[in-house]
Amino acid sequence: MRSNLRKIGLALAAPALAIVVALLVTTIILLLAGDPVVAVWQVLFKAPLPRQIVAIINEATVLYLSAVAVAIGFKMNLFNIGVDGQYRVASFAAAVFAGAHWLPGWLNIIVAILVSMATGALWALIAGLLKVTRGVSEVISTIMLNYIATYLVAFFLKMAAVQVEGSNAISTQVLAEDSRVPGIDVSWLLNTHNEIYGLIFLSIAVGIFYWFMLNKTRFGFDLRATGQSETAAVASGINVRKMVVISMVMSGAVAGLVGMPLLFGQDYAYGDTVQAGLGFAGISVALLGRNHPIGMAVSAVLWGYLNQLSNGLQISAGVSDRLVLIIQGIIVLSVVIAYELIRRAKLRLEQRVVASELAQQERVQAEEVAA
Amino acid sequence: MSSVEPDQSAASGDLAVELVGITKRFPGVVANRDISLKVRSRTIHAIVGENGAGKSTLMKILYGVQAPDEGSITIEGRPVTLKSPTDAIDAGIGMVFQHFMLADNLTVLENVVLGAEKLHGIGDAARTKIREISAEYGLHVDPDELVADLGVGDRQRIEILKVLYRGARILILDEPTAVLVPQEVTELFDHLRGLKSEGLTVIFISHKLDEVLSVADDITVIRRGTTVAEVEPSSVTARELAELMVGSELPSPQTEESTVTDTVMLQLTDIDLGVPGQAKTLDQINLTIHAGEILGIAGVEGNGQAELVEVIMGMRRATSGAVYLEGEDITTAGVREIREAGVGYIPEDRHRHGLLLESPLWENVILGHQTQPPNAKGPLIDAAAAKADTETIVNQFDVRTPSISVTAGSLSGGNQQKLIIGREMSHTPRVLVAAHPTRGVDVGAQAAIWDLIKTARRNGMAVLLISADLEELVGLSDRIRVILRGSLSGDFDPEVVTKEQLGAAMTGADASEETAK
Amino acid sequence: MHKVIKSVAVVAAAALSLTACSSGTSSPSASTDTPKIKVGMAYDIGGRGDQSFNDSAAAGLDKAAQEFGVETKESAATAGEAESAKEERLNQLIDAGYNNIVAVGFAYANAVGKVAKDNPDVKFAIVDDASEASTGDNIMNIVFAENEGSFLVGAAAALKTKTDHIGFVGGVETDLIKKFQVGYEAGAKAVNPDIKIDVKYLTQPPDFTGFGDVAKGKAAAEGMYQSGADIVYHAAGGSGGGVFSAAKAAGKLAIGVDSDQAKTAAEDVRDVIMTSMLKRVDVGVYTFIKSVNDNTFAAGPTVFDLKVDGVGYSTTGGKIDDIVPQLEDYKQQIIDGKIVVPSK
Repeated sequence: MRSNLRKIGLALAAPALAIVVALLVTTIILLLAGDPVVAVWQVLFKAPLPRQIVAIINEATVLYLSAVAVAIGFKMNLFNIGVDGQYRVASFAAAVFAGAHWLPGWLNIIVAILVSMATGALWALIAGLLKVTRGVSEVISTIMLNYIATYLVAFFLKMAAVQVEGSNAISTQVLAEDSRVPGIDVSWLLNTHNEIYGLIFLSIAVGIFYWFMLNKTRFGFDLRATGQSETAAVASGINVRKMVVISMVMSGAVAGLVGMPLLFGQDYAYGDTVQAGLGFAGISVALLGRNHPIGMAVSAVLWGYLNQLSNGLQISAGVSDRLVLIIQGIIVLSVVIAYELIRRAKLRLEQRVVASELAQQERVQAEEVAA
Repeated sequence: MSSVEPDQSAASGDLAVELVGITKRFPGVVANRDISLKVRSRTIHAIVGENGAGKSTLMKILYGVQAPDEGSITIEGRPVTLKSPTDAIDAGIGMVFQHFMLADNLTVLENVVLGAEKLHGIGDAARTKIREISAEYGLHVDPDELVADLGVGDRQRIEILKVLYRGARILILDEPTAVLVPQEVTELFDHLRGLKSEGLTVIFISHKLDEVLSVADDITVIRRGTTVAEVEPSSVTARELAELMVGSELPSPQTEESTVTDTVMLQLTDIDLGVPGQAKTLDQINLTIHAGEILGIAGVEGNGQAELVEVIMGMRRATSGAVYLEGEDITTAGVREIREAGVGYIPEDRHRHGLLLESPLWENVILGHQTQPPNAKGPLIDAAAAKADTETIVNQFDVRTPSISVTAGSLSGGNQQKLIIGREMSHTPRVLVAAHPTRGVDVGAQAAIWDLIKTARRNGMAVLLISADLEELVGLSDRIRVILRGSLSGDFDPEVVTKEQLGAAMTGADASEETAK
Repeated sequence: MHKVIKSVAVVAAAALSLTACSSGTSSPSASTDTPKIKVGMAYDIGGRGDQSFNDSAAAGLDKAAQEFGVETKESAATAGEAESAKEERLNQLIDAGYNNIVAVGFAYANAVGKVAKDNPDVKFAIVDDASEASTGDNIMNIVFAENEGSFLVGAAAALKTKTDHIGFVGGVETDLIKKFQVGYEAGAKAVNPDIKIDVKYLTQPPDFTGFGDVAKGKAAAEGMYQSGADIVYHAAGGSGGGVFSAAKAAGKLAIGVDSDQAKTAAEDVRDVIMTSMLKRVDVGVYTFIKSVNDNTFAAGPTVFDLKVDGVGYSTTGGKIDDIVPQLEDYKQQIIDGKIVVPSK
């Protein structure tokens, strides 16, 4: 029991350590830049307003999906940097499909989401196939595919775009009212009429699916085994190539979901002002959350919190909001280092515990024999 | 046998190395506890102990890789503090590691001067120096040869030359014979005696007792992290020495009555593996193993053993030829199908191929049998059943662990290996492929593992046993074949074959067929 | 790091200071401690200091601040931020008491529309958008005829080129930037129908780094100069600096955008800037603040075109002094409707 508590303590130690280090380093940077340290932390640690809480939850909803997409790859030692491109291609496809309104209401939404998953999966499949057939590192191929995604979507967007009078932005056909996912009204709880994305349930479902897949299925076992030791996985009969392809496809399919809360709950179209870079943020969130279904949820909320409160930096503290990017960057860096340190500490601790428990057993046995 | 105090007549000034009360606390593994060691100058001093007894830690302390928590080190009469290998080298200590640290694509000269460029430069001065050392100690090293072209024995001599080049007067050799065939061992010992006569001190770590007895002047025995005895080779037998090491009666593998049947369980026909234009890794391998039979494969490492195993297990596709499991063609089957069909696998490197070190034991029991009962329930993992199965395995195969939820990495090597064997046995395979099953495990576990393999054979399993330990092969196998450069020799009868005959076949020194039955 | 700009203007006349009032009733006051007009600026990515679009808006703010004694607060967007972050920015400015909000850039369209609805007492101006999303009783839509201004610098380039070969570097291929390209091409072809025009966009949306990537701008312009173009017009925000240094290295000319870049660009490259297409965002912003000050705020689109000098060209450096008459002639024709400049 005590060792369990210690394990949990160690698991939380890494992210906590990383955040503390990030805060210290940022404070030093602020001091060097001559910025008002106290004012900055006051802004960032202020309790969020009701509308900010909603915005944080919404941002976390999207970031979480991205983090899960990344984590599926991470669990297998695949570095899917391409979530960014995958979700943009997929969102665009879904926006075009849903915008055509071939299907009524909810059916339109559901099929569009499936279209998005399929598109994301296909886009990721390219990297997966390149890796297993040509040995191309998925890091390289997905970075390239991100670029290709940008240009491909821009090209098709021009063809699919609907010009809105008086606007300089272009976007796909705006969804009809019945093809939108209504938000969740929380005005009874929080003093804001801003709504939480209805598709937050999609995020939660994906989190549960991820947990179940990883811990309860044979596939999840194979995935984790491959990630831990590819050589042992091969020897155990896991077809690693197949696993690479399947997990890339799965990662891509989840990446396809990233844009869905935005499409159906906020923008109602895919345009040139769509939020970019969610795939990269997902990498950070997955790292901070240790690829753990709950850990990533917590880190997604933290990320959203920092993003939302950073707006106040310029306005209330007179400091650039890019400071938050620095904080986030340092958190990720510290997290990677802290995890490695804690991981080693954990292994050592366990070895010691096992050795001492065995020694104790032997002593007890010896006493029994003596008695 | 009582602990013998070292030669009291030797004046302390005559000691090359003296360790007093060395203690190293170390989480998880056996620490060094109150170690005392006296190495006389100009002697070959052997340190023996079973794996995990603390020999490596002691050597690391002596080579400055790790600092002791307590105790003192005296080198040639001067107390020293060794904070890094550099300190050790400055004190005149050189280390020849078990795994050679040579760059294949560089020449001998380049390898020797690497990192020691300041001593004699990298040109002719260095070349001259190498020739000098080589001549002085009879090492026969040509500075301009490419390391890639050299054999294992040559490489070891280069390693020795490397430390001499750096001015070492005390050489530590860590398990130097592990990679050598018997003939090369004899050669190495001649060189060590040569070094001794030139005034150097050699500390020699081993657990091969015959070798120790034949070459050492003094022997220190380590058990459970502390020095338990100092003996002279003339006063002990190998068996007594082994019992000192283990602290109890020593088991040895012994063939039981033959259980070989006529049923062919595993058959390989004309297996070739290789890239066109290069020497084949496996060349026309034909072998048959019957139910209840253990076929031993001897050979110097790197002659195709690993590839042979990989072909049988489906991890590698043979270029040509076929593999049959009880008549069924499994040549093109995948690893999982082959495992499901009833081939158990004890990999050579359990850390790389056998275990998930950071996963709990019960997940490691699933590994390799993900699709088989009781671990799987359709596409799902049945964790409860797998845990129950693990409890059974842990009890039945005497895996010493406080719980089945600790990570595999926290167990000792022997217990890890017992877990792997238990895992494979619990699925009652028809064929067991065991590569170096007792490598790196302590003597107690070794005996247990031998028993398990013999039980498997008695139960009608066909066992392919690959080992570098000739004693093990002779003791367990019904037949022994030798693999050399990808080719298999004929059968040797373990009852009559000598180590020298096997050694000759392993090096290809003479026609192995002559001694083959 | 952006500093809070505090108004240094002294409140001299009581008439200048008025609180914005949605009812429209004026509240004249003779007291000098009447609260100043409070303007919150939400910049596009890059913010104040981009030497281009945002700076132009900032210039309008500064001018108004000097004239009317405005209290200001500024904040800029970051790349890849959520839609909610834009809303939050506007909300924070309002929470801090800034009841006149200028949103710079069409990316704010939805955010302005939404926040304006929730804050009917706050007056908004949005630059570069007049869509339905950003239409409201308390929103002024500041839009420009970029194509008309670009027409004139296109004509200037065609008149000045010695190789009959010119170039255009766009930051990001949005419809807005295409308006610059189309006008530029029309102007150049009006002078010389056979002129060769290279066109290159640095990035595609939603990758907006093309507005801030000096290296990409330089590479694109270098390519054009090497292939024979001798004048390159950029509509690439901060990336334009790269176009100028490429021109300097090649000994060729470039045309600036938004601000009079012969005055605002890095000193060592100012001499290659032949002219700049002026998009008077500063005039737009100033006009908005002035309308608040004068209590003449009018919601809805206000088009800043050649007629009202909302767009134009600069003559700093004197490199186009000789062709000013021809340009003025084109300008007059456009104002008179004799030339209709395409916008897409």
